[in-house]
Amino acid sequence: MNLENRKRELVKEFSPMLEKTSSLSKIWISTLIAIILVGLYAFILQVIKGHEITGMRDNVVWGVYIINFIFFVGISYSGAFIAGILHYFKTPWKNSILRIIEIITVLSLVIGPIFILLCIGRLDRLHYLFIYPRIQSPITWDIIAIITDLVGCFIYLYLTFIPDFAILRDSPDLKVPTWRKKLYKFLAIGYHDSPTQRKILHKITKTMSAMIIAMAIVAYTVLAWIFSLTLQPGWNSSIFAPYFIVAGLYSGVGVIIIAMYLIRKIFKLEKYLRKVHFIGAGVVLLVLSLLFGYFTFSEYFSRWFSHKTKDIDLLKTLFSRYFWEFIFANYIGVLIPIFILFFKRFRNIKSITFAALIAVLGLWLNRYLIVIPTLETPYLPIQDTRPEFIYYTATWVEWSLSLAGIAAFLLLFTLIIKFVPIIPMSGIIENERNPKKNKKRIKKYLTEE
Amino acid sequence: MKSNLLKYTHIASFIIALLFSINGATQENDASNYKMLFNFKTVKQNDNSRLLEVRFIAKNRKNRKDKIPVYDAEIKFFTILNNEKKILGTAKTSKEGIAQITLPKNQKYLIDKEGNIHLTAHFEGTNAIDRREKKITIKDLQLELNLTEIDSVKTVLVKAFTIDSLGVDTPVDNVDLFIAIGGMLSKMKLEEGSITNGEFKYEFPTDIPGDVNGNITVYTIIEDHEQFGNIIQNKTINWGVFNKQITEEKNTLWSDAAPIWMYIVLTILLGGVWINYIYSIINLIKIKKEGEIIELKLEQ
Repeated sequence: MNLENRKRELVKEFSPMLEKTSSLSKIWISTLIAIILVGLYAFILQVIKGHEITGMRDNVVWGVYIINFIFFVGISYSGAFIAGILHYFKTPWKNSILRIIEIITVLSLVIGPIFILLCIGRLDRLHYLFIYPRIQSPITWDIIAIITDLVGCFIYLYLTFIPDFAILRDSPDLKVPTWRKKLYKFLAIGYHDSPTQRKILHKITKTMSAMIIAMAIVAYTVLAWIFSLTLQPGWNSSIFAPYFIVAGLYSGVGVIIIAMYLIRKIFKLEKYLRKVHFIGAGVVLLVLSLLFGYFTFSEYFSRWFSHKTKDIDLLKTLFSRYFWEFIFANYIGVLIPIFILFFKRFRNIKSITFAALIAVLGLWLNRYLIVIPTLETPYLPIQDTRPEFIYYTATWVEWSLSLAGIAAFLLLFTLIIKFVPIIPMSGIIENERNPKKNKKRIKKYLTEE
Repeated sequence: MKSNLLKYTHIASFIIALLFSINGATQENDASNYKMLFNFKTVKQNDNSRLLEVRFIAKNRKNRKDKIPVYDAEIKFFTILNNEKKILGTAKTSKEGIAQITLPKNQKYLIDKEGNIHLTAHFEGTNAIDRREKKITIKDLQLELNLTEIDSVKTVLVKAFTIDSLGVDTPVDNVDLFIAIGGMLSKMKLEEGSITNGEFKYEFPTDIPGDVNGNITVYTIIEDHEQFGNIIQNKTINWGVFNKQITEEKNTLWSDAAPIWMYIVLTILLGGVWINYIYSIINLIKIKKEGEIIELKLEQ
């Protein structure tokens, strides 16, 4: 096989994604920018007027911002975990989904912590967190863990991009602006796929993939500890860290499936994102939904059985004020995916994506129910006050900033896949490089639907 | 139709059997199925008053766990000597089946030559429950409890004696007793022993905390003695040793400075991760250098 020819072929195949911006793409990008601008306006209002314009008050000091933060960081953690593990799998099908997962991982970790900043009432004192850190505080651990995780994920993502940057740099047929060519050259750091370079890159990518798995677990555990190390009803639980990890994986796999579906549809990548990917991810989602359901049951059952006054108050709130949210998060969000994914006959691309969507929505609500009802039932309730000071309802400011976060995530994703192919070309070449070694695996992969 | 009847024969017989068994269960509630327990005891209390108590319980003959207290039964208490009978008081049983009266310290009893007091508890009986009577004979024992420090040793001293008709004290021998202290819910037994020559001595432990003020209630108790019945004496004394915690339990996470182990663990963890990042960057530089050489060769 002539590698240079093959590289050229692949660049030619993926060049439409990189070179052209269709009018639909332009509308899509403009819409996302418009949503972000509305969010920016809401943010400016929030900075000027303070948290008064949000639904957060004395009791409920954390609102949808922290829920989005947990949600995004959970997706990131899940992506890092899956990407890290997939790196050790020697299977050709991993190549098609690896980059999607890696981009989701890094972008979630970039967007998630921004929501924390929105939670802070006095942003002008943000630097105090770094100047006067309390090493005993889980908040400090979280800052350290997230920064370390973010750096690790960036390095890992960059490592996996280098061979593709090199291919794009060496493609004279690619019609992109000169600045992009220069950027490819700069980012490729002189990688020429020589045996020594390949060996070094493989070695550090392998180490980094192990590192990001560990970092993801640490970061998400620390995030769970922010809740569980307090004595608040509904939070003080010894299983919160593993529960968060399972929930994070559950939502992360759901988002990956949805992303796979959309990318497959929009870019017509049926050749690369095949049914086997969806079936595989669906089975993983099934296992995780069972685990998540088990953890959720254990969590609420022990609270109900212990019959501690404040825990019972919390459960009463969940079954009255938040009845439908509770039902959706913990029943529909678990049972529907289990039902769809359990029976082989229901496992097709659309139904698996639908199950993933239900799981993701359920998980977001699950986070809402972890944060808000607990803050609404404190140990020392405020008496004789207005209901809006006790109960939380998100305002348009919070919703627009939440949507802006999602829009920023989608915009960055769109821009990244316009910059590098969503399917790693280097991975395809790597699989084809040793035809004898990979022959059986590729044959099996190609014969599968 | 016939076959239908035959088909349902088993079910019909089961229902009939069930009806009979329900009837059977009703029969079991009959008073004749219960054995009446009529226990009478006396306790000489701390202030030398005497408690007379009857416990009147109906116990199922077949089911030991089924015990029903006899409620509102009138119990009469008498002191008897030969043919003379003097009523001491009357009480009705409570919901727990207990009837009690407390007789003052100076209560006059009918006493025989040996100094024995014969007490009787009597239940007249109703249509459903037969009359009951129980007699006990006891001797009035004087139990003295003294809490003193002998050579700085906290000592519990118990004296036990009887007083005859002439007013002469006679020390008792071989009477079992125990020393206890009062707790929140029940008494805690400290020592068991026997009175010898009218005396019992016990060295009080030095590690009992007592209440918030260091007070301890010490009891000396003679329980179910065949000759003297039940006798309790108690005194409260400031013998408690309050165990002050020398070191205050602190959650170091809330202190000004974090514990050293936390610094060490975090440094090792973060150090390990960041060293790995640096290692990756160093390797990237190696790739770059190698690339420069390759590019130079290509240019040549």
